[in-house]
Amino acid sequence: MKDNKVKIILAIESSCDETAAAVIKVTGKKPEILSSVVSSQIDIHKQYGGVVPEVAARHHVINILPVIMEALEKAQVNKKNIDLIAVTAGPGLITSLMVGVEAAKALSAAWRVPLLAVNHMYGHIAGNFLQPLKFPAVCLVVSGGHTEIVVLKDHINNKKIGQTVDDAAGEAFDKVAKLLDLGYPGGPIVSAEAEKFKVQNSKSKSNAIKLPRPMLGSQDFNFSFSGLKTAVLYAAQKMSPKERKARTSEICHEFQNAVIDVLVGKTIKAAKKIKAKAVLLAGGVAANKKLRESLREAAESNGFKFAVPEFKLCTDNAAMIGLAAAQIIKKKKVPLDNYKKIVVDCGWELN
Amino acid sequence: MKKKTHSEKETYDLAKDFAKKLKGGEVLCLVGDLGAGKTAFTKGLAAGLGVKGIVTSPTFVLMKIYPVKSSPAGILLETKLFNGVNKANHRIKEMAHIDAYRLKEGQELINIGAEEYFRDKECVTVIEWADRVKEIWPKGCTKIYFKILNGDERVIEVKK
Repeated sequence: MKDNKVKIILAIESSCDETAAAVIKVTGKKPEILSSVVSSQIDIHKQYGGVVPEVAARHHVINILPVIMEALEKAQVNKKNIDLIAVTAGPGLITSLMVGVEAAKALSAAWRVPLLAVNHMYGHIAGNFLQPLKFPAVCLVVSGGHTEIVVLKDHINNKKIGQTVDDAAGEAFDKVAKLLDLGYPGGPIVSAEAEKFKVQNSKSKSNAIKLPRPMLGSQDFNFSFSGLKTAVLYAAQKMSPKERKARTSEICHEFQNAVIDVLVGKTIKAAKKIKAKAVLLAGGVAANKKLRESLREAAESNGFKFAVPEFKLCTDNAAMIGLAAAQIIKKKKVPLDNYKKIVVDCGWELN
Repeated sequence: MKKKTHSEKETYDLAKDFAKKLKGGEVLCLVGDLGAGKTAFTKGLAAGLGVKGIVTSPTFVLMKIYPVKSSPAGILLETKLFNGVNKANHRIKEMAHIDAYRLKEGQELINIGAEEYFRDKECVTVIEWADRVKEIWPKGCTKIYFKILNGDERVIEVKK
């Protein structure tokens, strides 16, 4: 691909329960989202309290082509104009990933357009690439399946320096919601409950619920949320059903604070350690308002620039995969027959 | 076997020792409440088998497969324990870590190919929250029950 030419990227994402496609236009250095279509299955998976892989895969199969066609139509782009197809090849649910990857491979072969495999977590980080950024930067990536701290030397070179040693932050929200009988997905529900507590009751009580801040003081940049979930269970078990119901918002409030304290604390510590210029936030849990506000406040008060993608670029989408691809192709030429080499890697880790 | 542990670390160590007795092809069904030590046990087991890296929760993806660092060819037989890692278990090449926490039926695991790992003689399969998918427990699986006593005390019972 020649430089300085306008490039059109078709991006495809199907790593979990969202079938997504997007068209990105890159002019010189500047990327622009021409279209971004996301078909969510959340209502289907709600009844199971989580994504059911086989059910998700079947819906991806139904949705994938209509979603791609819609993205092309909305962007008013013809297959002849596409310079690159980018697809999420991992990490994620293997049966879900396969649908997007196989569809992308078929299109690559049929349209004779090169195909690039993109890491889903790098895609989340790339959700920040619409705005000018300063480097080095530290990015906190939080989602249902991952909680990681990644150092970015520039847009492309990244290194994971910490991660959860057990449950992901998003998973902890889901599990707490489940054990308090609040439903699924846990993130928005627990956070809405937590907000209620603030409004109702700003005075602290002597019997206020206190939860641990796991690993906040540890020297590394790892997280642990498994014990926090157990602590919520114990706190809830001590209450009568009536008291538990009455204090659900308080439990959620304290739980959310505990998670955010640890996430923010560790991220700022990492930023200081590597002398970062900017702190970034990414991933599905970055849609959590309280987390966005807290990390922004902590970053800015410590002299770091702060960036987070807009809401619709935080949850799973294909535009972020296109934005990631736009960076990768600056450094790497993608051969036309690359599709032959691409395989799904459901455990694909950032370096 | 029935053992009492007094800390997460003890549960971890117990599993690490337990791993050394495994030959490959075992399916371990872990049953116990939240906080009873299933995850600590799994982490210890992974360490004992020689899994490199961090074993994280598979709740979200249901199943994670970890490669087991195999011992170099030629020094497989009669190999002594090295760094507490079972080098004699050269046949074990993978550990499949399954979490049935959010499942209502075992069919979900069959759908993502879990049975392939149950039958694999070069793989050790661990199923957390196995009581939720009893209908798919393979014949001859090992049941491991976790009970919470007081504070950090746990009773861990292994049944064939």
